[in-house]
Amino acid sequence: MRIGMPHMGNLHITLKTLFERLGVDYVIPPSNSQRTLSLGAKYSPEGLCIPFKLTLGNLIECAAMGADTLLMPGGNGICRLGYYAKVQQQVLREIGYNAEIVELGVSERKLIGFMQMIKRLSNDASWYRLITSFRFALAKLHALDAIERSVQKVRPAEQVKGAAQELYTSAIEAIDGANDYASLKKIKKSYLAQLDAVPRQSRANPLKVRVIGEFYVVLEPFSNLDVEVELGKLGVEVRRTTFISEWTKFSLFLNPLGINEKERYQRAAMPYLKHDVGGEGWESVGEKVLHAGEDYDGIIHLAPFTCMPEIVAQNIMPTTQEDIPVLTILCDEQMGKAGMLTRLEAFVDLLERRRRARLACNNVRRAYGSLLRD
Amino acid sequence: MEAYLGIDVGSVTTKVAALDVNDELIADFYLPTQGQPIVKVQQGLAEVRRHLPADVEIRGVGTTGSARYLAGTIVGADLIKNEITSHAVAALHYIPDVQTVLEIGGQDSKIIIIRDGVVTDFGMNTVCAAGTGSFLDHQALRLNMGIEDFSHKSLDSETPVRIAGRCTVFAESDMIHKQQVGHRIEDILYGLCQALVRNYLNNIASGKEIRPPIVFQGGVAFNQGIVKAFREELKTDIIIPPHHEVMGAIGAALLAHEEMADHSDSTKFRGFGISDIQYRTSSFECKACPNLCEIAQLATNGKVLARWGGRCDMWERTSAG
Repeated sequence: MRIGMPHMGNLHITLKTLFERLGVDYVIPPSNSQRTLSLGAKYSPEGLCIPFKLTLGNLIECAAMGADTLLMPGGNGICRLGYYAKVQQQVLREIGYNAEIVELGVSERKLIGFMQMIKRLSNDASWYRLITSFRFALAKLHALDAIERSVQKVRPAEQVKGAAQELYTSAIEAIDGANDYASLKKIKKSYLAQLDAVPRQSRANPLKVRVIGEFYVVLEPFSNLDVEVELGKLGVEVRRTTFISEWTKFSLFLNPLGINEKERYQRAAMPYLKHDVGGEGWESVGEKVLHAGEDYDGIIHLAPFTCMPEIVAQNIMPTTQEDIPVLTILCDEQMGKAGMLTRLEAFVDLLERRRRARLACNNVRRAYGSLLRD
Repeated sequence: MEAYLGIDVGSVTTKVAALDVNDELIADFYLPTQGQPIVKVQQGLAEVRRHLPADVEIRGVGTTGSARYLAGTIVGADLIKNEITSHAVAALHYIPDVQTVLEIGGQDSKIIIIRDGVVTDFGMNTVCAAGTGSFLDHQALRLNMGIEDFSHKSLDSETPVRIAGRCTVFAESDMIHKQQVGHRIEDILYGLCQALVRNYLNNIASGKEIRPPIVFQGGVAFNQGIVKAFREELKTDIIIPPHHEVMGAIGAALLAHEEMADHSDSTKFRGFGISDIQYRTSSFECKACPNLCEIAQLATNGKVLARWGGRCDMWERTSAG
């Protein structure tokens, strides 16, 4: 048996570690590229979203590399994702691959179910081996996300554009190669220190935006045309809620205990949207409402083209009372980078001028206040 | 005399504007891009130069429009700005209390929402060119009339017919149908204007609060039929600024002025002499990764000035300097 799985951000590094430790044969498809997308789009129904097309491209490449068991997220009640594994299975059959797709129920969110499935795939490895392998894989995931968080802070301020991104690329490689906790810890520490030491511009307080939206397009830079890197070039600091390590922490460990990270956002969205609309639609509305009250200058809302949950969110967001500029970017295979950059540049200008106007307004208020006191 | 230049290179037309130190328009030129942005920038500059006093000294240059990076590299721009900000800045310059800017150009259309002198929201057409200048040009050509006649004739309509404006393909077949069953050409033309305005308001302007004063700019503001349809649909007056077709270029010049006031260093403008230089563009496919990006490059005298078009900035970095 040989396992393959589609890409999503740095997820393959974690899974690779897990499979290696469990002695499972696996393949990692080539990184997402135009080739993957063209391959996926060629065999996809036109109206499906970019996550479907890219993952299909990955799965075809896995099958071509000899994988016979393909892992694909799925499950009930999320969005059309619930059908994706089944449709992709059919597509693979039609183009002549016998690989079988195993659906990972991301909606069921039960640690035990996930572990049982991995156990089955690993030819019944012992529970001890399973748990220790899993722990180490998760440690890598956490290290990767810690470094990405630091990169997000350095990008907008770095003196030499691209410095943080370069460190990030080599950090991913180093973490991929780490074989034990000690070296992993050392690598993480070393890269965090290096990122800390990147020479920065003196300009204090860069514009800050929150990136929200659909899980896959937020996490997979290829699908969003590297929106975070581009924002960094424009001097904007990016924060986001969605990280794979956060997801695993909640879905695998805390949700079964009844702790739900999404509740916060769902509660905030309540005045405008009272129920789940699939995907992250409900949470997107909530994130807008919550972050408007924090010190963010704007929100970048990422949504796959034809994504129903996010389209619902996109249409509700302008009606909320909480005032913060939102730019929705629809991610699609037809999307051109020039169009996205024009919108990003205009949005950043908007945020810059809005902040300036607010500061001026505050200064007037302050001056007026002191006049009244005197 | 000191002046600031703004250059707006759109997909269909190229606009050049020159402002004096008081931000008054002293010269402008508007010409079709015809697929040759570099040549047209050179021509536009030469034309504007002829209308400027001999002792003119350019203190700053801004470029905008979809070829803003290309144009900026050629002329040596002090500032390269997206067309949304440029249009907003120009509208605010002429109508300081503007709250809504409608802009329809050759290939794209936008709406800009302004409150208290600050842009608060904007929208831009994504995949559809319905209702832009190119489509109107195409229809005028099909009916064998100049775009000016289109504009005048549509005003003579008495009972406009309903045209499907959702998509240019449907709009065209609908127009042909209406013409073949015997409707008057004036009524079809104005029906088309109404359809395009409806399409604009339902798509680009959807979810945006359109408040007066409303400014309508861009080349399509020349079209009296579209202007009338906007007035009827929005039930309010629409302001067409005097130089509405070069507002993007004026905005770029205003921003260049602002930029040079903030930074006292001298302009990067290469001078009007660039109109006589031969530029060569070429492209190649990068094979460094499976993305196979198409990289375009601009060269003069065998020296590469700039490269762009990649997903990553590998080629942009190697051409710097």
